[in-house]
Amino acid sequence: MDALLLRSLQGYVRDTFGLPVWQAVCRQSGLTVETFEPMLRYDSGTADRVAKGVADVLGRPVEAVWEDMGTHLVTNPRHEGVRRLLRFCGIGFADFLYSLEEMPGRTRLALAGLDLPDLQMRQIDVDKFEIFCRSNVKGIPRVLVGILTAMADDYGTLCVIETDDQHDDRILVRVLDSHHNTARRFDLARPEV
Amino acid sequence: MNVTCSSVDVSIGVAGLGRLMPMHLLVDGEDRVVGVGPTLQRAFADQTMIGARFSDLFEVRSPGGATSLSEVLDLASHRFRLALRHRPRVGLRGVGQWLTDRRLALVNLSFGIDLLSAVREFGLTDADFAATDLAMELLFMAEANASVTRELRGLNLRLEGARVAAEEEALTDPLTGLRNRRAADLFLERLCASESPFGMLNLDLDYFKNVNDTLGHPAGDFVLETVGRILGEQSRAEDCAARIGGDEFLIILPGRTDPEVLARIAARIIRRLSAPIPFEDEMCQISASVGIVRSVDFPRPDAAELLAAADRALYAAKHAGRGRACLLGADDGRAGLIA
Repeated sequence: MDALLLRSLQGYVRDTFGLPVWQAVCRQSGLTVETFEPMLRYDSGTADRVAKGVADVLGRPVEAVWEDMGTHLVTNPRHEGVRRLLRFCGIGFADFLYSLEEMPGRTRLALAGLDLPDLQMRQIDVDKFEIFCRSNVKGIPRVLVGILTAMADDYGTLCVIETDDQHDDRILVRVLDSHHNTARRFDLARPEV
Repeated sequence: MNVTCSSVDVSIGVAGLGRLMPMHLLVDGEDRVVGVGPTLQRAFADQTMIGARFSDLFEVRSPGGATSLSEVLDLASHRFRLALRHRPRVGLRGVGQWLTDRRLALVNLSFGIDLLSAVREFGLTDADFAATDLAMELLFMAEANASVTRELRGLNLRLEGARVAAEEEALTDPLTGLRNRRAADLFLERLCASESPFGMLNLDLDYFKNVNDTLGHPAGDFVLETVGRILGEQSRAEDCAARIGGDEFLIILPGRTDPEVLARIAARIIRRLSAPIPFEDEMCQISASVGIVRSVDFPRPDAAELLAAADRALYAAKHAGRGRACLLGADDGRAGLIA
């Protein structure tokens, strides 16, 4: 899991703030390399450490860094694959939320050995959802908040997504208007490359 | 054991049938389509399906010999395979059942493994599939698989690039940019193993120690860099020009065994290296002695043997005075001055 997050952090910082900022992050975090490979293994804890480095260099809270990275993962055209995979999971935003619990299973089918966070979803009211997200990477629930924010936008849904101050791993979603905007177009057929 | 699955006969409206089986087909006893699910209709675009003959819309791939739906249902033991007449590349698989006494049959179809091309051809969306259909999972898998493969291919390319760079670094002399001792040894061994003819120049700088002693190491390094550049310019892409010691160089020339050609190359290099090299406000004056050997002078060329011979030829050249080249003769093993 650390490898994917590190690669995503690298992409987010380099795309948004430029290579020199990323190099400063690497120095700050005492890294010997400047490039992370998504298919290799890194010591657990590396992702949280590098995210802290990004937060220090940018002068922003680490939680905001993780959230923005999650959003960037979905909205950046270079990662169109991520958005597409997520859109396959649900016909609408609520359906997408229901499918979150299936996510680790789906991912295991595609790539065995990837240690995805444990996700549990509970609908507590017609428009209220509660998501528990457990992972050994501290930043994961915040990444999920960023992803959910971007996906709600993709589905044209207006909602409030909050984290729980008492419980780091609890996310609350309140849907205000599920047809706030037109959903972004989604073709099932993979674009030709 | 006797299990009763249902105790009632059910009837279902067209809308309900379309929702549960969006790719169903209702065909009457005359082989005429009387009902069609919304997703199957999308595969036929604007074509009117109701009233059309089943055998005009579909080609039966299996069971063999069947053309009408009643023949298909009679012959197929389990499932059957069809293709769209207007898009023969898209295959369908199906199951069917007579609902009434051979007057109405219900068929449920799926794209099966042709799902990916069907989705592309007909612009299907997630709303076109029944909620229980695993179509979306299959598409998800195909897409995830493509992403993973792309990542792995990228990783392989990056690793290969790093490997090539590391290898290049391991074979390059950092100061001159020429090959190093290890690269020259590998090159030589490969030529000997493949029994390819080649010529070899063993080159030692003259007066280099003088430059180092009087003008200092920065001047010495600058001279070596210049020598590296000149030797690089004087050799072809297929040659190997290497720095194998402090001021000792080796140039291996595949395919070059003519003594005159080798002597000419040696003379040209000596001439170029003998020109004064300006460093800051000083002029560095060096020259070079060259020992020449040819693989064809040895019955069974061997790297160590050739290197030793080249060393002897170089010694003879040095002995003959500076700025000279010596070719090691074949017959007597003695070096002869040729340039």
